[in-house]
Amino acid sequence: MKGALKLISILSGLVLWHLVATRVVNDSSLLVSPLVVIAKGYEMMFVTAELYPHLVASSWIFLYGMLIAALVGVPLGFLMALSPVTRDYVNPWMTALYTTPRIAFAPVLLLWLGIDIASKIAIVFLGCVFPILINSFYGMRVVSREFVEVGRSFRLSGVALFVKILLPASVPFILAGLRLAVGRGLTGVAIAEWFGATEGLGYLIFFAGQTFNIPILFVGVAVFAILGIFGFQILKIIENLATPWRKEFETK
Amino acid sequence: MAVPVLELRNLTKEIPAAGQEPFVIFKNISLTVNEGEFVSIVGPSGCGKTTMLRVINGLLTPSSGQIFIDGKEQKGTDGDLVMGFVFQGASLLPWRTSLKNVLLGLEGKKPPQEAGQIARSHLNLVGLSGFENHYPHQLSGGMQQRVNLARALAVDPRILLMDEPFAALDAQTRTFMQLELLRIWSQAKKTVIFITHMISEAILLSDRVVVFSRRPGRIRSEFAVPLARPRDIDIKSDHRFVELENVVWKQIEEEVKAGRESNPI
Repeated sequence: MKGALKLISILSGLVLWHLVATRVVNDSSLLVSPLVVIAKGYEMMFVTAELYPHLVASSWIFLYGMLIAALVGVPLGFLMALSPVTRDYVNPWMTALYTTPRIAFAPVLLLWLGIDIASKIAIVFLGCVFPILINSFYGMRVVSREFVEVGRSFRLSGVALFVKILLPASVPFILAGLRLAVGRGLTGVAIAEWFGATEGLGYLIFFAGQTFNIPILFVGVAVFAILGIFGFQILKIIENLATPWRKEFETK
Repeated sequence: MAVPVLELRNLTKEIPAAGQEPFVIFKNISLTVNEGEFVSIVGPSGCGKTTMLRVINGLLTPSSGQIFIDGKEQKGTDGDLVMGFVFQGASLLPWRTSLKNVLLGLEGKKPPQEAGQIARSHLNLVGLSGFENHYPHQLSGGMQQRVNLARALAVDPRILLMDEPFAALDAQTRTFMQLELLRIWSQAKKTVIFITHMISEAILLSDRVVVFSRRPGRIRSEFAVPLARPRDIDIKSDHRFVELENVVWKQIEEEVKAGRESNPI
């Protein structure tokens, strides 16, 4: 039932898009039907295979950026939650960096790190790290006082309290942070590849836009969307594996 | 005379307030609990009984006074695990199954196999064999409190501290759990301090009922319960039960009334 509704939603959206493109806009230099996009996508994947280098380049940037963001964000978030000194020290910088549009950093990162993969990973990293950090921070901060007291009443050591109470209680928050980071990470990929890239989905879209190649442009956008959905689904699977106790809890 | 399991000497807890008199929660509590005794503490709401239990357990530090277990002074949550604490509400860790929740206090202290056996036998004791791999949200409120009790008993504490463990249960489940606690207690042979606001619960379960005054909490009176064990539900209609219930109720009523005069609701 739920699956059927999702399918109907997707199909009706595509039909609407098709109708708007062919009946309302009717100008292939502005908008093309999803059928054209699908055909173009098929061609780029299976006939010319020109999509793959772009897909691979973007995927690596995205994965590296996410990975480094998780490796930095989770421990730093924990540290901020557990140590007021760290919190006061990091907070102003975190707020400033989080609220500054990332695109403003792109040129300077490019200047510092060159036009290779490093600068692009850095831009993705900047997008991903904050939702992960903030969620890890709050996850650990809001651990119910009762759970902490349970740990203390059983005389758990500091380390045991962290491993057995604080960490498992924070896992759902960390996973939510990672999910938020997927969207921001993909935005980061697009931004990064608009500046001095020679491959990647962002480059593909940028280039298609410059040359008014609407079908390729939409293929690029669609692949981004699919990557986003894919990332979400993978995290959903990880979430179900990591927190089996939440599964039924939530559907209740 | 044997050393009492628990001794409180002039225990006081107050919260300092800037530029004002400190807020006194309870004052000069002295209490002795002997081996195997079941002592209930009743009193009006807000009299500091729950806070006192948390002070005994080391979750809060007393403002003054001392706590001795088997003649050894307790300081905060340092030292050995000699107390089992049964919490009021849903204090089971939702990411752990029943068995793993009971294992919490045993992990790292006993070899895994032995810990597993102890945990299983305590789940069996509270009547939850077959529910080892259930998560807390899959259990009813009564079953969750059984796990809570098994978790506290599994560490083989010298004294079991129970903080209104049945307060969140419906009336039927509550009565049933009281009888279950009588059975479990008769098998586990633990010294217990039991906090409740329900007088009949206190009398049914205890050897001794301690009545707290209104805040700042002090011990107003103590009653030995003159009823033989084993007890069952019929004992509630015994005239001695009813009389004691009335006497305790009158005292609490007085405290509540006096409290309202000085601080009307």
